[in-house]
Amino acid sequence: MASKAGDWRNYERVLLPPVKDLHRLDVFENHGGYDALRQALTTEKWNPSSVTEEVKKSGLRGRGGAGFPTGLKWTFMPPANPDIPRFICCNADESEPGTFKDRQVMEYNPHRIFEGMILAGYAMTIKTAYLYVRGEYADWITHMERELEKAYAKGYVGKNIMGSDFSMDIVIHKGAGAYICGEESSLMNSLEGKRAYPRIKPPFPAQKGIWNYPTTINNVETFAHVPLILSRGADWFSSIGAPSSPGPVLYGISGHVNRPGVYEYPSGMLISDLIDHVAGGMRGGKKLKAVVPGGSSVPVLRADMIDGVAMDPDSLREAGSMLGTAGMLVMDEDTDMVSFLRRITRFYHHESCGQCTPCREGTGWLENIVTRIDEGEGNMKDLDLLIDLCSQMEGRTVCALADAAAWPVRHTITRFREEFEAKCRPSLVATHVESAAV
Amino acid sequence: MEDGVTLLQSCLDEDLEIPHFCYHPAMTAPANCRQCLVEVGMPRVDRETRERVMDEDGNPVIDFMPKLQTSCSMKVADGMVVRSHRTSELVKRAQKDNLEFLLINHPLDCPICDQAGNCPLQNQTYKYGPEGSRFEFRKVAKPKNIELGPRVVLDGERCINCTRCTRFTQEISGSHQLTIIERGVRNYPMTPPGVVFDEPYSMNVIDICPVGALTSKDHRFKARIWEMSQTPSISTTNAKGSNCVYHVKDNLVLNITTRTNMGVNEFWLADEDRLDYKKFNENRPDGPTVRGQARDWDAAWTEAATLLSGVDGARIQFLGSAHATTEDNYLLSRLAAHVGADTPSYIPHIEEGHGDGWLRTDDRAPNSQGCERLGFFPVDADVLKSRLSAGEIDVLYVMEDDPVGTGVCALSDLEGVKIILHHYHSTNATLPAASVALPAAMAVETVGTFVNCDGHAQRLRPAKAIRGVNRTLAMEVGKSRADLHGTPFDRWYTESNMVDCEPGWVSIPAIAERVGLNLSYKGPRAIMAELSDSNPAFQGATYDAMGEWGFRLDVVGQSEPHPQTA
Repeated sequence: MASKAGDWRNYERVLLPPVKDLHRLDVFENHGGYDALRQALTTEKWNPSSVTEEVKKSGLRGRGGAGFPTGLKWTFMPPANPDIPRFICCNADESEPGTFKDRQVMEYNPHRIFEGMILAGYAMTIKTAYLYVRGEYADWITHMERELEKAYAKGYVGKNIMGSDFSMDIVIHKGAGAYICGEESSLMNSLEGKRAYPRIKPPFPAQKGIWNYPTTINNVETFAHVPLILSRGADWFSSIGAPSSPGPVLYGISGHVNRPGVYEYPSGMLISDLIDHVAGGMRGGKKLKAVVPGGSSVPVLRADMIDGVAMDPDSLREAGSMLGTAGMLVMDEDTDMVSFLRRITRFYHHESCGQCTPCREGTGWLENIVTRIDEGEGNMKDLDLLIDLCSQMEGRTVCALADAAAWPVRHTITRFREEFEAKCRPSLVATHVESAAV
Repeated sequence: MEDGVTLLQSCLDEDLEIPHFCYHPAMTAPANCRQCLVEVGMPRVDRETRERVMDEDGNPVIDFMPKLQTSCSMKVADGMVVRSHRTSELVKRAQKDNLEFLLINHPLDCPICDQAGNCPLQNQTYKYGPEGSRFEFRKVAKPKNIELGPRVVLDGERCINCTRCTRFTQEISGSHQLTIIERGVRNYPMTPPGVVFDEPYSMNVIDICPVGALTSKDHRFKARIWEMSQTPSISTTNAKGSNCVYHVKDNLVLNITTRTNMGVNEFWLADEDRLDYKKFNENRPDGPTVRGQARDWDAAWTEAATLLSGVDGARIQFLGSAHATTEDNYLLSRLAAHVGADTPSYIPHIEEGHGDGWLRTDDRAPNSQGCERLGFFPVDADVLKSRLSAGEIDVLYVMEDDPVGTGVCALSDLEGVKIILHHYHSTNATLPAASVALPAAMAVETVGTFVNCDGHAQRLRPAKAIRGVNRTLAMEVGKSRADLHGTPFDRWYTESNMVDCEPGWVSIPAIAERVGLNLSYKGPRAIMAELSDSNPAFQGATYDAMGEWGFRLDVVGQSEPHPQTA
């Protein structure tokens, strides 16, 4: 396997270009801001279905973690009916540990998000769009509200946008601080003022979404790509990076690297390139021990498993993990994997909404056991119990939080079993449990 | 199979048990307990021909879904193949796993829990659960003994978060007085700030709670479910006649819970119906009296007959009762006709504004419709009073009611009038004026028929025994008390708490016999058979037709029959 990112060293950033004060509307306008929207609304070339087609053709896949093809998702909306309200929603409830790339777009390029949302709204004939931001991003909410006001004043949002007969409102909604609200169906419940319990699917949001009306929900980064796809063309977009999941990607790199941060590069970057060249190498010259490539819920990779592995869905699946949100957690040789897992289980325990039995009860139990092991009080049999509990949780709940909580446990234990065993009390019976290879 | 029916409900309809907690047929299915997981497969369909793919033996190829599905949210479809815990080790294991999860933070305080013995969690754990637990940590502590309102008490630790209670207040009663608070494993139902869970239907959540998290403030710790006998009957607080179960121990009614009847009250019962049981136990009279002196029944009946015989029928006023059974009122009307008196009237018990269009009615008596259908009119208090003061009434025969207590007349109006009174309570305000007082069996002690406000005729079944030997009652007690728990704890045969009273269908024939009228029937069943045959207002309402769910009578004056409600 090799890098699919091509000549990434000479890649020119488009989502987060090196432009000072790009968040200001005048600067944004001077750098081609709202041009794609103007073209879509005022030229013959574009109509709602051709916008959707272009996005479909570009191969853009959702950047919220699941990687579903965006254009295809848009086509799930039923035909527009003026009597039936329909909505789009931008999911800015970025809460997965290790994921902080959407915040960057909100801070440095908020108008790109608005422009993408209006284009999506145009493509799907929407009158109202919601921008659901996690409550902890209070400063970014203020920031975006200020910028949105300016966009309204300039006629980019609101009634008869740019003199066309297309009108759409954007409503910024502040979440109240729960990880589960990032799950799209509980986001909708939260938006409606209800308790943020995920809904059963089907029906899917395109059938019954916000207030039971057709709804499409996309991630911040996903929306931000849309104007570029229209202005530069689907072919340009699909030629960037890995063909199966093309386009620029915001890699959020955190952990034991010299320069943690959000980096924009083509999809399909080698993990090793990202660590060694993009993020400035391992901190203090330490050796790499483990990488979580896409946010805390995806399976962890051992250092010896990342050779030639690229940041695209296929390559990562082959390696035994997932792309997720492309938020990489990098851990050096001094990292205590038991302690790492303890923190992860604590998070999912804290964030389980409590609707479904296996997740509500299982997440806490996982944390209890991992904590006990971390404190040196665990027994060897606890490791098998942990794996057992993961099997009891995976795939048996309304939403994927139980899976998100179980995967790190399952894979951290199977891939670093010797570390866990070393922290457990020695078994009274001689055993020859071999550390699992993968 | 009906379209849009869920897999779980269709299994339950076929008496195929699938363990579940959060599903309730009257409410939306949130699929949150995850107990009803099954394997679901659909026939493979060829993409081009749209026809089912067959295997070598000509059977359709079934593709099973990769994940287990909750049968409560899965709609039944043509060709669907389901593997339950009976046929799939995977499902069996999943159900066991889920129960293990449900129990790790459940306090397992069954020995002191009111729900024990009648607890879906307990029952299903015994049937499908693991034998032990691998959980070795402290259970989550949550608030206990919290009064959500005046009638319902919460134990947060027992809660398994099925959300049946919150959905009840959202979808059924509409009060929105309960919601889930906290997050994750600390979740429990609570009232929103400043709200008290006091809606008139609050106690239904006790019935639908699948664990002992919500218990009745009134009944908790009074008796275990298996110490009481359970009698299916109907409630008596209003004219709806909601179906209920009387829980009786040692001839004391200790609790009333709902009984499902889709034609009347569906799954629900108003709080007033549940809390109205003390009247069956307290202030009950102890045998008949004549002018305040205790006498035996024979002497009392003879005295009553004497009062009736020496008087011009026009000077006798009979009052039937909306609290008494249709059978007893019918017998009373026969007696009235025999002595030449007018058709009895009855005292209406209307409380304006009490009804809510659901299970509570303005009418606070259970059988006004029965009286009306017998041709009784509500008594006009002014007319009665003026007749009394004009001295036109010599004898007032009151069946199972209280004209003084209800304000129809005052004790002073009754001076010089001979009164024959069938009464339930020693606190009956007319009692001091009674010449002959005959304690009457109440709705939980007799056999009979009430007609509800919608013309639904329903049977009363005896839940507790009265003193004295009555073969008909004894037989009905035996037949009606489907003893769920085969309890040896309910000593209904001992004299303690038995009331020395008689049903109207014993007392009235006894008096009638003494004034030369033969009213002997082989029990109320025969009386109702005669009524259903002879009176169009009761056409078809035999005991067999009423059965467990009642019989919808024709609207009087219309000939079109109403479909019997199941």
